[in-house]
Amino acid sequence: MSETITLLAMFKDIEPASEGVEKLQELGLDDDQMNIISGIPVKNTILGRPAAITYVTRIGMFGALLGIALGIFLIYGIPYLYPLLVGGQPIFPVPQGIIITFEMMMLGLMGFSFIGLFIDSGFPSYTPKEYMPEISDGKIAILFSCLNSDQDKFAKALTKLGAESVSPVEAQQL
Amino acid sequence: MATYAKPLARPKPHAEEHEENPREHLMHDPLPRGQMNAMVMESMHETKPIFWVVTAVLAVIVVFALGYEWYTLIMQGQGVAGVTRPDYWGVFLVNTVFWIGISHAGTFISAILRVLKVESRRPFTRAAELMTTFGLAQAGLSIFMHLGRVWLTYWMFPIPNERTIWPDFHSPLMWDLMAITTYLLCSTMYLVLPLIPDLAMARDRTTSGWKKTFYKITAIGFRGTEGEWKNLVTAMNIFAFAIIPVMFSVHTIVSWDFAMASRPGWSSTVFGPYFVIGALHSGMAAVAIVLFLLRSTMKHYKYFIRPEHFGTIGMLMFLVSMAWAYFYFNDYIVPWYGGNVWDKLVQEYTEKGPLGYLWFTMLFVNIVVPWAILWNKKWRETPWLLASVGVLINIGMYIERYLIIPVGVTINRMPFTWRQYYPRIEIPMTVGTFAFFLLLYMLASRVIPLIPVWEVQEGQEAHLIRKIGKAEVSTLSDME
Repeated sequence: MSETITLLAMFKDIEPASEGVEKLQELGLDDDQMNIISGIPVKNTILGRPAAITYVTRIGMFGALLGIALGIFLIYGIPYLYPLLVGGQPIFPVPQGIIITFEMMMLGLMGFSFIGLFIDSGFPSYTPKEYMPEISDGKIAILFSCLNSDQDKFAKALTKLGAESVSPVEAQQL
Repeated sequence: MATYAKPLARPKPHAEEHEENPREHLMHDPLPRGQMNAMVMESMHETKPIFWVVTAVLAVIVVFALGYEWYTLIMQGQGVAGVTRPDYWGVFLVNTVFWIGISHAGTFISAILRVLKVESRRPFTRAAELMTTFGLAQAGLSIFMHLGRVWLTYWMFPIPNERTIWPDFHSPLMWDLMAITTYLLCSTMYLVLPLIPDLAMARDRTTSGWKKTFYKITAIGFRGTEGEWKNLVTAMNIFAFAIIPVMFSVHTIVSWDFAMASRPGWSSTVFGPYFVIGALHSGMAAVAIVLFLLRSTMKHYKYFIRPEHFGTIGMLMFLVSMAWAYFYFNDYIVPWYGGNVWDKLVQEYTEKGPLGYLWFTMLFVNIVVPWAILWNKKWRETPWLLASVGVLINIGMYIERYLIIPVGVTINRMPFTWRQYYPRIEIPMTVGTFAFFLLLYMLASRVIPLIPVWEVQEGQEAHLIRKIGKAEVSTLSDME
């Protein structure tokens, strides 16, 4: 059985890169076997790719619920443990409860969305990765794995579509 | 058969030279991305000696005007400040409200303009977001100055303790603590999110030294894969929508610190939106000042920050100025019409008292000046003029907070306590907060790309010029 190799095809623009993706799909490469690396976000439909799955929203929503629980505890739990009478107001006030619960909910939503980005993307990560610094200067890369024996076939096809280089890439320290 | 037509303007000689050329807009004037990145990096790394001279002067001011004076305040107590009965709320709280106001524009510009997809926001969102974080830092410091015994801050936290002293969530001051803490944390995270790709760009272009290590750590391993972008854009969208109500809540709650007290001049149902608009008024004006300073002092920034951007800010300043006038009038006429004796006394003291000239100055610089200048597109797009209007508006808004807080508390229901407030140690400490804000900004400009360069490049990718009839018009592709 032949070994697999990771190739990085570098394109100057989005247009040839999207054609490159199509070509790789035609040549039998599965969508899971490739990844696009770019300096700006590019919509998946532009590249003809399925949308990436994100859990950031769900993690954020979980944070919001946690925030609501914390807010309710602060406004109702603390006076339950230590009642404090203020100016004839009820010990468990609803209007103040709305304010505190709202602030905690929003803090939970945004805090957990932020954490969610880190969890879902695997940040921070300082291990070596396949990458070329030219990408942040406007190039767009297709990173894909194929059988060692198919390397020439893929390289030829992508070069024909305008790839500036198609070469094996090793993980390097960013 | 007669043709009924209104008289038409005849083209003047050389008129075409004055027509707007869409290519003058940043979005239609792209440079190679590598070159743009290089320009942003160069602006951070090439520093003239004058920069360090100014930085050193600011650092000295911070050490003495803020650090030493605060030390004096802590060691000798609030007696060295001008606060005494009935003016226990003085300039420290004026500064708190002022700096929170300044911080509002960062979120407003970044979040609301992002939600509304206003394209001209792209090059200056980060400059505004930084203002939010650094402005809130000054607001936080000012609260602690007012607090006096800062080492007892932990009393505000709901932690078990021997004294069974618990924070009272019935109090607007506790709501304020929660709201400002939420806003500070969330706006800092909102600043960090779009910064990650630019830090990765800086990492890619820095070869050695401590900066390489700094960018390597802060870029957190970002490469720009599909999944990373998807997560980042999703998080940014959540923040853009969620931080707007938080922004509104913060200054509304700040206003409730005053409005919840049944004190003449303060107890007003319109205080919430009036404070929010006031915050935006001073904040937008501060953005104009910051953009002018960045454009004038940072290398290559004339490419990124153009008259069109000042035009956008100027338009917002004009609208906010009108809204502020509307709310101010609302807050003024209701107690005036009601004729309550205490409200009347407060109004008369504010207008005709020893500080009456401040009241007129406030109305002049907050309403007359912006209305007289910002209606004109050409004037709006003149950077120095817009920045000058910004300075005047901020003076006006500082006066407004001064009139509401220490001047407002002078007149109360116990006339035997009436006394004019004179700030003392508050003055150098106020200067210190301004110096600290500028110092933080200047230091940040050496390590953080103040232009969100990937967002500019994304915008340029989406913009095209299309010919319709005889004219070339700007079109925007939906690429987000």
